[in-house]
Order: sequence, then C-alpha cells, then structure tokens
Amino acid sequence: MMKCGLAALGLLAASSAPALAQKGLDEPFQAPFREALAGKVVAYVPVSMNFDLTEGWWAGLKKELEPYGVKFELRDPNWNTNAGAQAVTSLISEKPAVMVIHNPDVQTYAKLLQRAENEGIYVIQINMGSAYRSSAFVGANWIEIGEKQTEAVVKACEGKSEKIAVVQGALSAAASAYTLKGVENVLAKHPEIKVVASQAADWDAAKAKAITQTVLKQNPDLCGIVGFWDGMDIGTAAAVKEAGLTGKVFVATSGGGERKGACDQVKNGGFDLDMSYDVPTQAAQMAGTIKWLLSSGVKAGSVKGSEYTSLVPITKDNADIATTCWNLGDLKK
Amino acid sequence: MREALIRFRYRWWPDHWVGEILSKRWTETAIPVIVLIIVGFWLSRAIPNFLSVSSLADTARQAGEIGFIGLGEALVVIVGGIDLSVGSMFALTDFCALYTLDVLGWPVPLVALATLVCGALLGAVNGVLIGYLRLRAFITTLITLIIYRSAFDILIQDHSNQIAAAFPDFPSWNFLGGGDLLGVPSVALFYILVAVFGHILMTRLRPGWHIMAIGGSRRSAYNSGIPVRRTIALCYVACGALTGVAGLFFAARLGTVGGDIGVGLEVIVLTATVLGGITLGGGKGSVTKSLVGTLIVLLITNGLTTLNARGGVNRMALAGILLVAAMVDIRWQKNRTRIISKVYVSPTYNNLPAPPPTEVGAGGPFEQNDKLSDVEVIGLGRIEAPEDVILDRHDNLYAGSRHGDIMRFLAPDYQTMEVFAHIGGQPLGMAFDRNDNLYVCIGGMGLYAIAPDGKVTKATDETNRSWTSVNDDSRLRLADDLDITDDGRIFFSEATVRYEMDEWPVEGIEARGNGRIVCYDTNTGKTHTALRGLKFPNGICVASDRKSILFAETFGCSIKRYWFDGPKQGKVETVMDNLPGYPDNINLASDGNYWLALVGIRSPALDLAWKMPGFRLRMVKRVPLDEWLFPNLNSGCVVKFNEKGEILESLWDMKGVNHPMITSMREHRGYLYLGGISNNRIGRHKLPGADPNFIQYDRRWGKQA
Repeated sequence: MMKCGLAALGLLAASSAPALAQKGLDEPFQAPFREALAGKVVAYVPVSMNFDLTEGWWAGLKKELEPYGVKFELRDPNWNTNAGAQAVTSLISEKPAVMVIHNPDVQTYAKLLQRAENEGIYVIQINMGSAYRSSAFVGANWIEIGEKQTEAVVKACEGKSEKIAVVQGALSAAASAYTLKGVENVLAKHPEIKVVASQAADWDAAKAKAITQTVLKQNPDLCGIVGFWDGMDIGTAAAVKEAGLTGKVFVATSGGGERKGACDQVKNGGFDLDMSYDVPTQAAQMAGTIKWLLSSGVKAGSVKGSEYTSLVPITKDNADIATTCWNLGDLKK
Repeated sequence: MREALIRFRYRWWPDHWVGEILSKRWTETAIPVIVLIIVGFWLSRAIPNFLSVSSLADTARQAGEIGFIGLGEALVVIVGGIDLSVGSMFALTDFCALYTLDVLGWPVPLVALATLVCGALLGAVNGVLIGYLRLRAFITTLITLIIYRSAFDILIQDHSNQIAAAFPDFPSWNFLGGGDLLGVPSVALFYILVAVFGHILMTRLRPGWHIMAIGGSRRSAYNSGIPVRRTIALCYVACGALTGVAGLFFAARLGTVGGDIGVGLEVIVLTATVLGGITLGGGKGSVTKSLVGTLIVLLITNGLTTLNARGGVNRMALAGILLVAAMVDIRWQKNRTRIISKVYVSPTYNNLPAPPPTEVGAGGPFEQNDKLSDVEVIGLGRIEAPEDVILDRHDNLYAGSRHGDIMRFLAPDYQTMEVFAHIGGQPLGMAFDRNDNLYVCIGGMGLYAIAPDGKVTKATDETNRSWTSVNDDSRLRLADDLDITDDGRIFFSEATVRYEMDEWPVEGIEARGNGRIVCYDTNTGKTHTALRGLKFPNGICVASDRKSILFAETFGCSIKRYWFDGPKQGKVETVMDNLPGYPDNINLASDGNYWLALVGIRSPALDLAWKMPGFRLRMVKRVPLDEWLFPNLNSGCVVKFNEKGEILESLWDMKGVNHPMITSMREHRGYLYLGGISNNRIGRHKLPGADPNFIQYDRRWGKQA
C-alpha cells in the first residue's frame, strides 16, 4: 500500500514534471532595477550644446537610459558660466535623481554640487570635474593627456628649433588647468624645450587661430604646438596651414574622437596627434554608473569613485580604421 | 427716468479717476509692471515649483546681484550717461574679492571693503573722464570696458589656478554667498536696504533731485548752480561701488574667476534698465523701475534656461523682448500725455432749471440796463488781469496782475502805478486783516500775506490730504477768494483740485464739484479743508452774523451760506440758486447788503449740454480745444443781494466798451471799483446815493462807523 502510494506519487510527479520544466526561474533583481529607474529624472548641464562632446554624451545617455523609462532634463547655459550656475541652482530645487554636470571651471559649481548631494541628488561629473568630488567622475585624465601630447611634440621637435607653443582653453577649466600641469611635468624633464607662447583661447577656434597666427609670425621656426581641444584647435591647424607649415609644425591636441573633428582632421594633416577620449564609451560608462547608483539606492555622496577614460591616440596610422572614430549623426539615430 | 439714470451714473461712477490715475508719475511704470506680471504668470504656469520658496529664494539671490548693478546703471542713465563697463568692472571686483581672500588671505570684512573700494575706483576713472573731462559716456565706457576686460584677462592668467585651488569656508563668507535670514537671501536683504535708501535719495533728498535735474537738462542744472561735473562723476563712482557689491556677493556665491565672468553683462543690465522704463537720455527713472526691469530680464533668462531653451534662443528672446519693450515704452512715453489729455476731462451731469429772464422788457430783478456804460477806466493797458481790486484806508487801489505782482494805484487820481509787492503766480481774491495786512489768494501757489510795508510772507500752501482723492489734493492749486473772520480764521475757496490755474475754464465743461473751501487759522498756522465737493467755489464774504460765510459756486450758479460757528455750525444753506449767470466774487456793500459779480451769463446751449455729459465727453475727445463749447465768460453784470436771497439791484453794461468782463467789484467811498480777469484795466463807477465814507475793511474791523 505504501509502495503503491509512492508509486502513485511518482506517477503524479512524472506527469506534472514537463509543466514545471517550462517555467523559468524569476530573476529577483531585475524588477527592482526597473522600478528604480522608471520615471527617474536625469538632468544634464553641459557647458554648452551644439558640439560633438556634449551632443555625443546626450545622445549616448538617452540611448542607454530612455528604454528604462528614465526622463531627461537638459539645461544649456551656452558657454555662460553664470547661466550654468543658475541652471544648477534651479535644478537643485527641482530635485532630479541624477545630475550630469560638465563643469566650465573647477570652482563655480563646486559648492552647488556639494549642496545637491546633500539634498540627495547623485552628481556625476563628466570630463571636466570640479574641486568637489561627487559620487562619480567619468572622464579623461587630463594630466595624462597633457603628458602624452607634450611627449609627442617634444619627440617631433628633436633636432629642430625646439620652440613650442601651448594653446590653452579657458584658464580655470579642469581640461585646461590639469592638462597644463601634464605639459609642465614633461617640460620639466626637457629643459631644452622653449615655450615661446602659452595663451588661453577660451575654447574658441577663432581665438586659437589668431593666437597661432601671431606666434607663427614671430616664430616661423616653431616645431610644435600643444593644443588643449580639437574643437578649438581647428583654428590652430588652420593658422598652421595658412602659414604653409603643415607637416613642419607638429600639432598635438585632444578631443572626443568624432569623425569630422578628429579622424578627418588627422587624415588631412591638420592634426598630427589627437588624443581621443572616445565619447560613446564615456556615455556608456556614465549610463552604467547611473544604472548602478539608482539601483543600489546608496545615499548620495556616500560613495565616491572615478572612471578615467582609456585614451585612444589618433594618428595617421589608425585614422582610417572605422572603429577609431565615431559619427555623431549615427549615434543620434 | 432716463435722466435719473444719467444723474445716478454720473453721480456715483468716478469717471475722473481714469485721468487722475494716468497722470500719476508711477503709471510710467505701468507697462513694465504689466510685462513683469505676464512673464511671472507665464513662467509659473510653464515651470513647476516656480513659485516655491526655494526657487523664489534662488531668483532673489540672483536678482540681488544683478539688481545692484542695475541700480548703478540706473543712476548713471538718469544723470544722462551710460556705463558699458559694468561687466568688466564686475569681473575685476569679483577677482579683487577672491584674490584678497584666497591668495592674500585677508579677513572677510577687509575683503568686502577692498572690493567696494576697488569698484569705486574703477567707477571713478569713468567719472573723472566723463564728469570732469567731459568725454562722451558711450565711447569712454566702451574703452574702459575693453581695458578692464584686458586687465582681468591678464590677472587671471597668473592667478586663476591659485584661486581655483582654494575652497574658502568661513561662516561670514558663506553667509554672503548662500546665507539667508528667515528664508530671504542675504544679498536680497542687502539689496532691499540699498533700494529703500536709493528711493529716498532719488525722491526726497537734494543729491537725488540734482541727479534728476542734470539728466533732464544739463545746461539748466548748471545754470541753477548745481555742481554738475561733481555730481556726474559721483554717479559713476556709485555705479562702480554698486557693481563692486554685486561682484562681492557673486564671488561669495560661486568663488570663480572664469574668463567669461561678466561678459555681455552690460547688455543684460541695459536691457533691464530700459525694460524698467528708465529712459536712455536721462532725467527719468526710479528705483522701482530698475527693480522691475531686473526682475523681468532675470525671470525671462532663467525661465528660458529652465525650459530647456538652447542658448541662442535665450538671447534671441531677450533681444526680441528688449526691442518690443523699447518700442512700447517709446510709444507710451510719447503718447502718455496725449492719452491723459484725452481722458482727463470727464464731464458730469449738471441740471439747472431755466434761468430767470434778463432781457430788456422782461421785467424782474435781472432786467438789463446800461448803468455801467459810463464806467471810468483806470490804468488802461498798464495792468493785466486784475481779478480782484481792493482799496485801503488811504484810498490807494490795489490789484493783482498776471505777472505775479500786486500793483498799487496811488490816490487820488490813480495815475501813478507801482509794484506794491511781487509774489509770482496769479493774484486773485484779496482782503485786509485787522492790522492792515493784505491777504491774497494766489492761483498756483496758495495764500499769502503782504504787510503794509510790502513784505510778503506765505500763509499756507497746503491742506490735509483727503484719502478718497486720487489726485494729491494737499497742495493748493487754485486758491480763489477769501475773507477773514473775527477770530482770525481765513476761509478761502479753492476752485478746483483737478486743474491748474491756466485751465480753469475747463471746469465749466466738467461741471463737477471739484472745489472746496479751506480754512487757515492765523492763530495756530494750521490749515484744514472745511467743505469739499463744491462746483467751482469762488467769492467768499463773512456774513452779518459773523458766524457764517456766503460763498458763490460759479458753475452751480448759486450762492450758499456756511456756518463755521454758532448753533448752526457746519451747516450749509442755499441763499440763492438758479442765477442767470456765473457768480464770482462777493463783497460787502455800504448799505449792509452784498455786491455780487456775475462773470458771465448762462446760455441755453451750455445749459443743455450740462444735462448731456456724453455729448460733452465726445466734444472734448473729438473737437480741438479752441472749438469747445465753453461757458460765456465775457459779459456779465453786478448785482446787489441780501442775505434772504433777494436781488435788490442789477448793474449792466450792454456794450461793454469801457469795461467788458467783471469778476469782482469793491465799493469804496461812493464808488464801485471793478476788476476782470481778462481785462487790461480797472473800472470805476459812481454809485448814486451811496455812503461817501464807506471803506469796506474799516467797517469790517469796526474802525469807522
């Protein structure tokens, strides 16, 4: 009887087994993840829209996060520091879940970002950080960039005039101040290199062009230029080209690796080196960080980490390879 | 029924308020305020949390900073200049604050002081160049804009990273940058203090008036002895110092010396200034306008940034609004006076029954005659506009003139004319007091006393402000006629509180009770309004009981009696109404009755028009002023009446060759002296059978029988 019963049970089990086998295992973490992301607001304050870096980050973030129901808020200060500060200030009172901040300089937003994290808003600083360290920094290591560019310029100058020029961005911006430190680090090891000009072009191509024109007039034997951003150094390259010195003056710069702004410029000889911090990768890293922060539920400001971007040096050797650069038009699709 | 409705409507509906409100100086700010309200309303709908406490506090914090620069710019624009260098000065003072704090390590109070001094010095450069060396403001500040900006660029090249590396954290510094008191940001509190002071300065203090005067007309200001150069220079210094204050608060808030600090700020500040209604060119402006302009600009720029507008759109919108505002402002400023003149006159209902007849042969007390046709003429062509005439004990004749003089014709032949006293304004009614001081009502000025030696003193030029009046009725516009009571109170009429001296006939078109009787007490020096709502109160004469006055209401065509003392104190009774003409001055006659001048005779046309306020309104709106249907003020008569309201006698002049218009008459030693406000002569008429020893004010004060 007992056996019979067991057998019956076994039969029962056998008969119901195929049905059980078709049911999957419920993954217990994805639902809270979706919940944590749905309807959350990510606010984005670049220094300005309408150029490759900020447009690329914006497109990349939306691509990654919008499918999860994340909402986006954009504030465009249009290169105006004061307007940016106002935008950040008003965002704090609107309380988005995450703020993605692109600092115009290391000081202006620092206190505001501290206040934002105290209010419980995760702050991710992108590429240009501030004096305040927030939940995450995603971006280039400017000192490394400065060092690599200068090393390349110094190498190119070997046996030449050994006169170089530095075209800085906006003086107190992270991308300018820290890159300059990298430049200084290398130059300290090469006392033979003479810096004939080191001026701020405020991220403005026209200004960079004007500065370079003057420098080249006074120093036609210049052997290299360290530029701080390819968007601005289009002007630098143009001045070099106008002076007929393309190929003779080594132009090193850095940028987001967008095809027109970087690879094409390297191919046509405008830049000899463009250190790329690949914007789509940065956008993906930011999106990942946002996903992690939102789903972890950690208190804003309680964890602080950095994600320095691995750099891609773009030269004539790799400028033709399709994966070296990215295309803003494609990213937006 | 229809008439009753019209009467009701014109009695209770305050038509005249529209014009009065529009004539207020503060309505110049009306357009900007309306724009501000629209912008605020739109943003509060478009942006959630726009009106939340924290959002408002953030706005106030920013408004404070730009507001300080706005105040400075307003000052400079009002004085007739412009300051384009504010953006660069802002950057430099910001640098000054952060350099002294972060690099030199000065204590916060010293930093604040240094920043203000720095701003003032930068402004002083502009001030000296423009004020003392008289360079053009636009070019000069354009140049300092560039120079200061270059200086800033050079300075931050060396020091920006030092400043960027510092993270100043002092309670006092943080209070400046982000602190608040009961939720009001520190900078806004400070702004309110400065703004209140600025308002008092501009409206109540001498330097503010000087600034307004210089902006209005530099040459006239110079000719009036205002230190033009110094005042202008100081305005630029103040602008610099105020910019320094803004720089200090900005430095404390953001602690940055980025290259773009203050770039284009002059456009924002100028936009705010113009939007607020402070006219470029000078002489007009106020603290309120500056504040309103700043708020509009700030709300628009912040609102558009918050609404995700791309940077270019933001500037485009601001520029567009500036353009529209400038256009509206110019049209408004230009047409405001025209609009006011169109709507200011607001006729009301004034129904009079048909007048008693005056025609020859019609009988009655007003029947025309020619008794005045042989009037003698005194001072022909030598005196202008003798509204009232009076004679002293020594028979000298006094009359006012349009030039603001009291003229004296010497007895006995009245051929010698001299200026007895110069007052200014338009002298109207006159009366002697017990001590032979001559009290005169001066149109446009008030009540003045002239001692027998010709010394002029002001008795009063203001009364209590009534709360229901839109126009400021504390000032006396048109003091008209007076008499003096036994205890030294002077009752005088003020014909209108709505028009100036030169516009008085318009009252006849309006026919509203805009006038009042004011009492000035010579014992206490105090003035108060005794009666109001009278239709052009005019002649005043103390009645025989010494406890009441008789007064004429010119466009009410009536004589009334007001008791200021005794058992009937405060009561008003009608003595005569429905006179055939417009009564003017009343004076005592030698037989104890009263003389009354009728300055003009009523016409059926105006009588009808008085019942049709709508018609008169259309007339003043559509017809030029010189074609308006005015009351006839050219030919009238003199009548004698008693306190019972009976007409005893009337004196007419059918042709009016010798003495056309009569506004006043005075009996003296058997003669009647006549005055007329549009005449160039004084008339004298021999009264048959009158007391040859009668001197009005000697009898009045009991000095003679």
